Amino acid sequence: MSEIAIHTQKLSRRFGNLVAVDSIDLQVVAGQFFGFLGPNGAGKSTTIKMLTGLLSPTSGSMQLLGLDFAAHPVEAKRQIGVVPEGMGLLERLTGSEYLQFVGRMYGLDRATTQRRANELLDFMQLADRPKTLIADYSHGMQKKLALAAAVIHGPRILFLDEPFEGVDALAAGALKALLGRMTERGTTIFLTSHVLEIVERLCSHVAIIHKGRLVAQGSLEELRAGISGEAGSKSTLEEIFLSIVGQDGTERPRLEELSWLM
Amino acid sequence: MADVAGSIGILTQIRAVAGLRWRILRNSMRKESHRLHVLGMVLGGILSGIFILGLCFAFFAGAYAALADGRPVWMALLFWAIFAFWQLFPLFAAGFGASFEFRTMLRFPLNRTAFYIIGLAYGLADFSAVASVCWLASMTLAVAVAKLAVLPAMSMVVVLFLLLNVTLERLVGSWLERVLSRRRTRELFFALFILAMVSLNLINPIVNRYGALLRPLAERIGRYFAWFPPSLAGRAIAAAAQAHLGGLVLGSVGLLLYAGVFSVLLWRRFAAQYRGEEMSETAAPAAVTAHRVARVEETSDHLSALSPQVAAVVRKEFRYLTRNSFSFFTLIMPPALVLIFSAQFSGKHAPLNEHPISPEMLFPGIMAYLVLILMGPAYNCFAFEGRGIQTYFMAPLRFREVFLGKNLMLLSVLAVEMGLSLIMLAWRLGLPSPPVFVATLTAIVFAVVGQLSLANWSSLSFPRKLGFGQMRGQRQSGMAVLMAFAAQLVFGGISAVVLFSGRWTGNRWLPAEAFALLAVAAVGGYFASLDALSRVAEQKKEVLIEALCR
Repeated sequence: MSEIAIHTQKLSRRFGNLVAVDSIDLQVVAGQFFGFLGPNGAGKSTTIKMLTGLLSPTSGSMQLLGLDFAAHPVEAKRQIGVVPEGMGLLERLTGSEYLQFVGRMYGLDRATTQRRANELLDFMQLADRPKTLIADYSHGMQKKLALAAAVIHGPRILFLDEPFEGVDALAAGALKALLGRMTERGTTIFLTSHVLEIVERLCSHVAIIHKGRLVAQGSLEELRAGISGEAGSKSTLEEIFLSIVGQDGTERPRLEELSWLM
Repeated sequence: MADVAGSIGILTQIRAVAGLRWRILRNSMRKESHRLHVLGMVLGGILSGIFILGLCFAFFAGAYAALADGRPVWMALLFWAIFAFWQLFPLFAAGFGASFEFRTMLRFPLNRTAFYIIGLAYGLADFSAVASVCWLASMTLAVAVAKLAVLPAMSMVVVLFLLLNVTLERLVGSWLERVLSRRRTRELFFALFILAMVSLNLINPIVNRYGALLRPLAERIGRYFAWFPPSLAGRAIAAAAQAHLGGLVLGSVGLLLYAGVFSVLLWRRFAAQYRGEEMSETAAPAAVTAHRVARVEETSDHLSALSPQVAAVVRKEFRYLTRNSFSFFTLIMPPALVLIFSAQFSGKHAPLNEHPISPEMLFPGIMAYLVLILMGPAYNCFAFEGRGIQTYFMAPLRFREVFLGKNLMLLSVLAVEMGLSLIMLAWRLGLPSPPVFVATLTAIVFAVVGQLSLANWSSLSFPRKLGFGQMRGQRQSGMAVLMAFAAQLVFGGISAVVLFSGRWTGNRWLPAEAFALLAVAAVGGYFASLDALSRVAEQKKEVLIEALCR
């Protein structure tokens, strides 16, 4: 039986009266490239924050690689790498200094940290500005550095919140290849993105969250079959997404209201 | 085809911007924590109002006295005071951070004249401009009361002076905006400001020692100032008061010429901005250097005694300290002030030679002052982390390690600062007796370590983000300041009582023994608190992340 990398049970989070995440039961098998989708404000980032320890759940439980997060937070965090919303970089360090800081925070020895930091900076094409502070990096460069920091300790689960936003096509291609190789070697990747084409191309499994509730979960084939009612359907992920999220009719903006613009 | 909006007036656009600022203020009051922030702003506004109003009376009295007592040339001094404040205040304030970018207005359909006028209007909304206009108004009122016949001339001169000042201030501001777009330049500017402030303390000793030599030089230089705008304004009013038309015309034409030249220069500057030049807020990216990151394979680790996480935090804190010019340069202040204090109290020119202060008193006093100054930032120690705070919560560690790293760095800074101050005191005044010396050192351990637990708790409970290398617009967390104040009061009070117990009992070593016991208790309490603080950090992480990731 396949190892379960991420398992949540009735995971919920409230902010006052607002239920941001409502009793979601997620199950992600180790080695999967998992896409987590939803419209703006659906609860994607809140879920990722809970799964990575940045936010405490109001109720429910979660296990990462069998480790109960609430009982063993340090051990669970050792297994994961994160590119959080906003990237969470220490902007007054240089790229190299930041990677060394993160490596040491994950307990790597200095020599290993330095070697990996150098290799990652080379791979991310950030090595030619050794003295530039992160604050002076472009958005895309910051994103690449955040990715490098997320993988420096060789995590078994990688959480990526909009990882390709602002990254140039060349670097994005190399990153996608890297992520693909990581999943082949058993790393689980949990990715959120609004670019459905990227999710469709990279992910084998997808979950869709809408208004805090998990409304679909499964492999792309399963979701296609669920929508069309027949196996072997050729629906795109965008069609699946719109059909699931937009089925209550409230999500689609009505163009006729902007008649003065057209 | 989409509709296209018709052209609107400049006043409508200014009103729209004023409305926008009002809505931002109103919306910021929706949250409880922001209400306290706004309350601070209101209190600041009241204090500023008192400052302006107080000086209004002073300018009124000065102008009235100058005209009523028949010494109208003194008016130039008042104009100089206003000129200096109007031009210098925004200059220094701009050094602490990027100011409001009115050029963002270029997104909207403005013509060049509208852009110029809106630019000037923003200039009149500055604090220095509002204050200066109030002071000029009070001077005009004084002139009307003292000598009504001079009022028309005064009104004309004031209008010219006002136009000239607002134009010059915008001109210098727009030039500085370009220069200060680089973070490093802003920080350098701030460093110069700090040095200038420290230098002010040296004026008294310098004047005492070299006053006689400097006076002829000052008089010679003073003559050249006669052709500057404030002197011209003063001369014009003086001429009007003495019914000397030629002087009035000369002064007014001079002011007009200045205003004209500044206006032309400002028009050219704004025109360049209007054309879209210098739209970038930051400097052009530097050419990419060809060399790669040096492959440094360090064999020795100076922090190898520490855990990797604590060592990483210490290194990060050190780098942040050296790169944060605001924090870094404030570290110069304590030893500099110790030097100035000791210069005041020693040497043949010391003003207190007849009643010299003994090192027995001064040494503990100076050390208490250093603790007071240097411990303040510890009460909001995550202020400069920004979004990076998330790294601590994502990493597999207990928060005690973060505190250990941060506290270790703070203690190192304190040790260096106190060491430097100690050397200066020993050089200028000598060291106190061994009982006082030992008692003071143990008292420092007690007061500093004792405060660390409280400061760490305060940092978790009342976090507030501060801009890196900036002073303008920086407001410390109100509760953290209150906590620091209360803690310093308690620890200072205990230390003072213990220190004086030696005198009262006649046992000079008693304070040292008592402080040693208190220090041991403080150190024990500190280590015992670290685990509890780790749990508090877990409970408060959302507040912390929300406050620092804004």
